[in-house]
Formats: sequence, structure tokens, C-alpha cells
Amino acid sequence: MAASKCTQLTAALSRQLLDSVDCVLFDCDGVIWRGDQAIPGAPEVISSLKKNGKRVFFVTNNSTKTQQMYADKLGKLGFDVTADEVFGTAYCSAVYLKNVCQLDGKVYLIGSNAMRQELEDVGIRPVGVGPDPVSGVQKDWANVPLDKEVQAVLVGFDEHFSYMKLNRALQYLCNPDCQFVGTNTDTRLPLEGGKAVPGTGCLLSAVETAAQRQAQVVGKPSNFMFECVASQFGLDPERCLMVGDRLDTDIMLGSNCGLKTLLTLTGVSTVAEAEANQKSECPQQQKMVPDYYIDSIADILPALQA
Amino acid sequence: MAGGGGGCVTLGGAQIRDLLDSKHNVLFDCDGVIWNGETAVTGAPEVVSLLKQRGKRVFFVTNNCTRPRENYVQKFSRLGFADVAEEEIFSSAYCSAAYLRDVARLQGKVYVIGCGGVMKELRDAGVPVAEEEDAEPGASIYTCPLDPDVKAVLVGYDENFTFMKLAKACCYLRSSECLFLATDPDPWHPLRGGRVTPGSGSLTAALETASSRKATVIGKPSCFMFDCIASQFGLDPARSLMIGDRLETDVLFGSNCGLTTVLTLTGVSTLQEALAFRDSQEPQQKHCAPDYVMESVADFLQALEE
Repeated sequence: MAASKCTQLTAALSRQLLDSVDCVLFDCDGVIWRGDQAIPGAPEVISSLKKNGKRVFFVTNNSTKTQQMYADKLGKLGFDVTADEVFGTAYCSAVYLKNVCQLDGKVYLIGSNAMRQELEDVGIRPVGVGPDPVSGVQKDWANVPLDKEVQAVLVGFDEHFSYMKLNRALQYLCNPDCQFVGTNTDTRLPLEGGKAVPGTGCLLSAVETAAQRQAQVVGKPSNFMFECVASQFGLDPERCLMVGDRLDTDIMLGSNCGLKTLLTLTGVSTVAEAEANQKSECPQQQKMVPDYYIDSIADILPALQA
Repeated sequence: MAGGGGGCVTLGGAQIRDLLDSKHNVLFDCDGVIWNGETAVTGAPEVVSLLKQRGKRVFFVTNNCTRPRENYVQKFSRLGFADVAEEEIFSSAYCSAAYLRDVARLQGKVYVIGCGGVMKELRDAGVPVAEEEDAEPGASIYTCPLDPDVKAVLVGYDENFTFMKLAKACCYLRSSECLFLATDPDPWHPLRGGRVTPGSGSLTAALETASSRKATVIGKPSCFMFDCIASQFGLDPARSLMIGDRLETDVLFGSNCGLTTVLTLTGVSTLQEALAFRDSQEPQQKHCAPDYVMESVADFLQALEE
């Protein structure tokens, strides 16, 4: 493929690019949907890719849904997708704790019911989900009863995040043998309806600061998100295309894993930012330059249907 | 006896007397220096009394924002310190309120993530606080009714911290004209028995990540608290001594403000840590090395009783 980078993906180049890959991985928000609306043309792109014999996967840092919940959402939006094709961080964190951390016990979870469900499905028992208001006085808080079977603290998006949860996580993390994992570092969580709220990255900052420890992060741009898909489906990185809207997560992941990368402009990042990274001397910034960019993924439809 | 240049010199005998003779003002941190929890450090009440008898001005400078000053007065009395006046106590809560009123000259309200101690100091200073509507029906993290009069956000220790507060504060901080203050940067607070509880710094980290803005931090090691004392009492840094137990907070504060610094070993930091800072190549780290080291403030007694 082209040695130059950050090239606009024309129709001709689309054909060439698609022929060079067997598998396409899509970020979700800002790429195939925005909030609760499909990007126009996106469902057709997915179907066409599959008709063309390509495998399609979805890779998202959002930890609020299980694989099945994502499949349901995608189905409602008109996408033809099965649960095992969607890799959110709720599922991937469970796999990470099981396979990489070799967890065999409980985890103190700051996160959603979806995360709880994915953990239980791999045989890990989570404790702590749900509201946890403070009670007692300050000197009680350092002495909250700790479950001896907890071997890790996992932090994901949690609308019930509270001082008490932060405190419990800190107490567990005072033990250096207790592992510390975060789903992702995104600072904003996009919601249905186009709004956004503070993301998991904020909660993780709080816990990392209190505990003075760094979490192992599962989500993009960590390689694990790709490895999780690749190990289950036997993917060849050189024959994979990563399509995303964020240079610092999607494109960085693609670069780190040796995938081809396509930036779509229906989301967060801009061409100007990509070009600025390209001109930069910094190796980290160089990884945030896509091979190609396109206004919307719908623009590859003509090449697919030709 | 000018500052020892961060040399971690162990003070003894005549040196202590000479040091005291050269200083007019003595600033004490509280936790880990003059008391630990509800127990005074042995000899501390006598040291404070004797310093005053010798004509020194004594001030207490604490990042702990959980109590209003009048509560501190009661604590001093309870622990055997005679005649400590409210005016001598400078907490990060008091100084944050003073900053908003006198330095920022806030026209409008402040949205507060903070405990009762912070609220009281703001009220006492006459700084209007945005009222928190508790759990109004139908409110969720997805709706964010904003008070148009809010022109500042202040974050400090808050045992009732919730995701909702984080989301609200983040909304206010979207306006670049909205001030962003933090009471103190402490990531955790020590409790008795070597235990810890999350500090203001961890909540500030969450909000900084959410807003992509850096807070103006009032507490040590920032100089604002010294400026606050100096504006009321006209202190000469060269004639002032800072005594603390936390290298990255108290000693760095002293260093930043041009004070001579003493580390006491009755609290958080150790002699080893002090020496490591002294021997570091990095300038910022060197500023965390104290000029002098003492076992405890009680070491002043001999010099004072002569």
C-alpha cells in the first residue's frame, strides 16, 4: 500500500484498499452512529463489506453495554451484526482480567451492570456495583470491611461513582498485590441525543491519584483491543483495516498493531490535526496519522457496489 | 542563619537556638507536626506557648479543608494548646474563600464540590455559593440545569462527591471565564494507624480530566496561603520558618515562598525520602528537600526553655 500517509481516499483508492484487506474493524461513535442515529449509509456499508467476503468487527471503548446489548442496539439502527462481532470494553476487560491478569477470584468493580454481567460470564465475581453512599465518619472509611477474595480493582464508566467507591478502591489498592485495571481513558462519554458527560478517564484519574498507582488500561489505543479480536478470529494485521474518528485512540491503535488506518470525518478528529501530527517530530504524534481519510464511511459504498 | 539550601541538616543544641533567634515568624503544618489525629505531638503545646512568649509570631498552615477555623480553635483547645486564636489559623478552605473574595474579587456565585468546612468558610467570607438541588425528581446525569450566576468552580475534599457533581462542575467549566480553583492538591489524607483516605487532589484530578483545564490550587505547595498570611500580617519570608511533615507539600511550599524549611519526622515523610530529594538532579525535586530535619517539634523545647 502507499508509503505516503494522510491521503484522501478517492473512489479508485477505495477499490485498491478494499482489495488489500480481508477484515475491517470499525469504531462506533462518530463512525457508524452518532448517539442514537446511524450515520447515513453506514448499515449499507457493513452489509456490502460482508457481501464482498470481508469480515467486520466493531471495537469501542464504551463500557456500558455487553456484546449482546451492542448487537441489539446495532440491530435497531439497521445494522446486520452478531454479538460476537462487537468488542466493547465491558467484554474485553473481562477477557483481560481472565486471560492476562489470570484472575481467579473477585474484583472490586466501579462500573456498570453490563460490566458485571460480562465478568460473571467469564467466571469472575464482581463486588461493589451500584450506588454506594458514604456513611459513618472519616475514621471509619479507612476501615471499611475489605473482601479478602478481591484480587483486582476494575474501573469503568459508573454513573454511581462516589467518594465512597473511590475510597474502597483506594483501600484495596493499598495492597500492591491487588491488580489495577481501567477500561479506557476517554475523558468524555457520548450519549444518545448528542450530549456528552465526563468519561471513564475522569474516574480513573481520581482513583490513580488517590492510590498513586497507574492502571493497566484495556481500551484503545492499547493493543489488547485488537489482540482480543485477532486471537478469537485469527486475523492477519496486514490484511486488516481500522476505521475510526479519533486519532489518539483508533488511529493510534491501528498504527501500533500494524493495521491499515482510515480516518472518517464524521466524528472528533480533523484532517488539520492529522496533518499537524504528520509534520511533527514526535514519534507518538507520528503514530496518530492515518493512511487515508474520508468524509464519511458511506463514501466507500460506490467502490463496494461496483 | 540563612536557608541551608535544602541540605537536610539535622538540627541539634545551639543550632536550634540560633535558628529561632534568626526568625520572627514560625509557620506550622498541623497533621503530623503538632498533632496526629486527636493526639497532640508530645511537647507541641509547650513549644507553641514558649515561641509566643519569646515574642515569635506563630501561624498554622494546613491543607486540611474539612473544618472551619472555629472548629480548629476548638481542636487546639481540646488538645492542650493554650490561646490559639482564629486569626492564626490558615486552612486551605479559609484561604480559598479569601482568594475568591479578595484576589479574584468574584462577581457571582461559586459552584462548590466540597465538605461542610469549605461551605462554612465561604459563607463566613460572604462569597455566594450556588445552591445544590438535592436529588430533584427526574434529575439524572444526563440533564444539567445550570445557574447562570456561577462564575467559579471550587473543588475540595467532599465525602458526598458524586458523578452528578462532576458532570455539573464540568458544564460550568466549559466557559473560559469561569474560574477553576482547588483547595489543595493532596492525593490522600493520612488517618491514624497509617491508613489513608482519598484527598482533594483525587477529586480535582477527575475534574481536570473532565474539563481539560488545570485548577488554580490554593493549598501548599502553592504560595497563595503564604500570600494570604502576609497580606494580613506583613511577613518577611527571610525571617520566617516553615515546619512540616510532608516534603512535596510543606517543604516545597516553604521553598516556593522563600522560607527556611524544617522537616519533622512525626508524620508522613521520612529522612530517607528527604535525602533522596536532596540528592536528585532535578531542580523541582531538590526544592522538596528541607533545610533542616528534626525528630519532632519537641526538639525545640530545650532551646526555648533556656
